[in-house]
Amino acid sequence: MVLVLALGDLHVPHRAADLPAKFKSMLVPGKIQHIICTGNLCIKEVHDYLKSLCPDLHITRGEYDEDARYPETKTLTIGLFKLGLCHGHQVVPWGDLDSLAMLQRQLDVDILVTGHTHQFKAYKHEGGVVINPGSATGAYSSITYDVNPSFVLMDIDGLRVVVYVYELIDGEVKVDKIDFKKTATMHA
Amino acid sequence: MADGANPNPPTARLRQKHVPDWLNSPIWSAPPPPARHLSPPRAASPPTSPPPHQRRDAPASPLPHPPPARGDDAGSYDGSDGDEGAASSSRPHLVAEFTVALVRKVVDLAELRRLACQGVPDAAGVRPIVWKLLLGYLPTDHVLWAYELEKKRSQYSAFKDELLVNPSEVTRRMDEMTISKRNGHDLEETGVLPRAEIVHDEHPLSLGKTSVWNQYFQESEIVEQIDRDVKRTHPDMQFFNGDSSDALSNQESLKRILTIFAKLNPGIRYVQGMNEVLAPLYYVFKNDPEQNNAVSAEPDAFFCFVELLSGFRDNFCKQLDNSVVGIRSTISKLSQLLKRHDEELWRHLEVVTKVNPQFYAFRWITLLLTQEFKFRDCIHIWDALLGDPEGPQVCGFEPGWWGG
Repeated sequence: MVLVLALGDLHVPHRAADLPAKFKSMLVPGKIQHIICTGNLCIKEVHDYLKSLCPDLHITRGEYDEDARYPETKTLTIGLFKLGLCHGHQVVPWGDLDSLAMLQRQLDVDILVTGHTHQFKAYKHEGGVVINPGSATGAYSSITYDVNPSFVLMDIDGLRVVVYVYELIDGEVKVDKIDFKKTATMHA
Repeated sequence: MADGANPNPPTARLRQKHVPDWLNSPIWSAPPPPARHLSPPRAASPPTSPPPHQRRDAPASPLPHPPPARGDDAGSYDGSDGDEGAASSSRPHLVAEFTVALVRKVVDLAELRRLACQGVPDAAGVRPIVWKLLLGYLPTDHVLWAYELEKKRSQYSAFKDELLVNPSEVTRRMDEMTISKRNGHDLEETGVLPRAEIVHDEHPLSLGKTSVWNQYFQESEIVEQIDRDVKRTHPDMQFFNGDSSDALSNQESLKRILTIFAKLNPGIRYVQGMNEVLAPLYYVFKNDPEQNNAVSAEPDAFFCFVELLSGFRDNFCKQLDNSVVGIRSTISKLSQLLKRHDEELWRHLEVVTKVNPQFYAFRWITLLLTQEFKFRDCIHIWDALLGDPEGPQVCGFEPGWWGG
């Protein structure tokens, strides 16, 4: 039972001041084992805040990040799953499923987490899953102004992953979940 | 003490001061009352509870049961290597007596208690059965034993299943019940993954009181404390703290027992020290020479632990600290008992040095003396504690003598 928080595109302080209060009240230290962040935090204070939630923090570089040392892509193994992380502005057309699938094959992962579009999406595609946690602060994107703050919490338990999607719609937190299993036919 | 040169060290010391009368009473030199079914008279019950230790101070007395080999117990009492207690296992008289008492179709508890007060032999797996009977885990009628054991052990498995499972499992089971056939998201197909509504706020970050996840995280603090305490239990003993996988599985068993107890008793949860009370129980049951019983040491220890604690759970409840049944009043009762039996010592503690009885009595009472003596001796002391008809509470008052 490993809890992994996936979020990104906060754009603090340029486009948003902070995470929504309702999100912050839920995110307490001690519950989450890993945090993966797609990028565009953008400042060190946000990095420190995320570090206080969980010491195991993985970030990839977004185009507005002020820390240039973050890598472009990252892969990690949690339990039986391989996760890949990338901001997504490098993959053109932005948000295109086939191009993201190319990236997934390149990184050789089961679950690819990317951002940049500021829209939550979860697809399964050709033996892998692509998850876009959206923007945790609801910051506007290059594509649209209408963005609901959202993030994703994955519960990895053996061969099964339960993805809890947290969205702030009209001031209320809505939680949905998505269930999937890894089958034996997937690349080992 | 093994040299037997000074048969009565405590009394020799006291002889210079006023010796309480009961210490010089003829009861120590006379054989015990011949009628086996008579328990010792109530009035004498405080003095009879320390017999295992006082009697050995008079090895020359013609006691029918213990041969002078009893003097070996004094060796362990004096703090020299505890293994001398192993000599008690070679007392065939006692083993025979116990076997006779236990083999009867309906065990006579009063007699068993009387026998237990003298000390249970280590041999032949006598002790686990005696303790289970004394704590009321096994009924006195032999015929019911198999049924009762089966019932209790399966109840424990049910507890484990229900209480020790993590929230992921719980939600998975809930899903399997509500959604009968989801075709598994084989990950071969392509498409947007369908989103499902969650049931009453059951997500990992939930702050709701009824949420499985929230309860899990709140209890994780208790679980961590139990983990820390179990790792510190008896660090010198291979059984609990060795490097072997056995030691690890013993620790896991202790942790499970304490966690289930804490979850079933939200009133007292887990208090530091419960691990010490549990340790001798589990040790004795796990070392039962009979394999069936040793394998089920965990459920047996759990229920016996519950029985043992039920006698004095009030001592652990913070709200009751100052009440009539709480720990403060127990300590003051102990102090009064001390005053009655040895006024001189009491005066020295209370008046001259003004030592608050809490400093010595608290640990004695709540941990049933497990921290005061070596482990081997504790087990012998517990034979008498559990054997006393009034239960550990009354016997708990006697430590004043062993310490004094």
